[in-house]
Amino acid sequence: MGLRLTVQVQLVLQALLRDPAKEMYGLELSEETGLQPGTAYPILLRLEHEGWVTSRWEDVNPRAEKRPARRYYRLTAGGAVQASAALAGARRPKGAALRRLAQGDGAA
Amino acid sequence: MMPAIDPRYDARKKRARVAMFITAGATVASSALDGTRLSGWQWAPWVLGLCLIIAFCAISMNSGGGLRTRRGMSGMSGMSGLSGRGWGAGDRPDGRMAHRWHGLVMVSRMMPGPAGRRWLAEAESVLWEIPAARRATAVRSYLLSGPRLAAVMWAHEGLRWARPGPRHPR
Repeated sequence: MGLRLTVQVQLVLQALLRDPAKEMYGLELSEETGLQPGTAYPILLRLEHEGWVTSRWEDVNPRAEKRPARRYYRLTAGGAVQASAALAGARRPKGAALRRLAQGDGAA
Repeated sequence: MMPAIDPRYDARKKRARVAMFITAGATVASSALDGTRLSGWQWAPWVLGLCLIIAFCAISMNSGGGLRTRRGMSGMSGMSGLSGRGWGAGDRPDGRMAHRWHGLVMVSRMMPGPAGRRWLAEAESVLWEIPAARRATAVRSYLLSGPRLAAVMWAHEGLRWARPGPRHPR
């Protein structure tokens, strides 16, 4: 496995695993994990590169919606299994680390 | 709603500024090379090269337009990228915030083409919806993580090209 399970990666995986079938977009994930969006993006990219996550652009008319299209992320079937296994085997992030991340100190 | 953008965003002004840079660059370059021992037309490629570099820098500095179009972000649709896609007349960033928007565009240019476009589009999408109070921090997080991400992306790109066998476009 080429993926390092940092605390931030674990937080993203946990958020995605809460409902593996649900698609989440960047801001939603950022709010769910407490990570800054700029920190979450490289993690999602890495997960996508590993085949754990798949993504797509939202199919909307930005003019009608009055906002840009969102990029939605979802765990793949294999990714969900691998993520669960990886999280089960990973060391649980310490409370202090999670608190720091929630306070916005989430730089990877 | 953010304060209205100033007239610097006017395309004609940008073109004029680029032309001014090129003219000034050519003048400086030709004056500098005048004292050298280059004979005949040997100086021409140097002047041309310098002009191109200066033009590139000038266009990059005018990041309200110019190369951003190359990224396909503001394009003809006007519905993508920082300058288009739903921006109302009073919705554009100004001052320090505008500087950061431009910073995002610059960082996206450090990345391989499609990856940079996607990063910028996604950053824009997130920053559009994020509460205003958190926007500056979010922009900073993108700016801080961008260069490192660019390095990783180029490394991937290099590995992709170094790999033997047919290359498939992503």
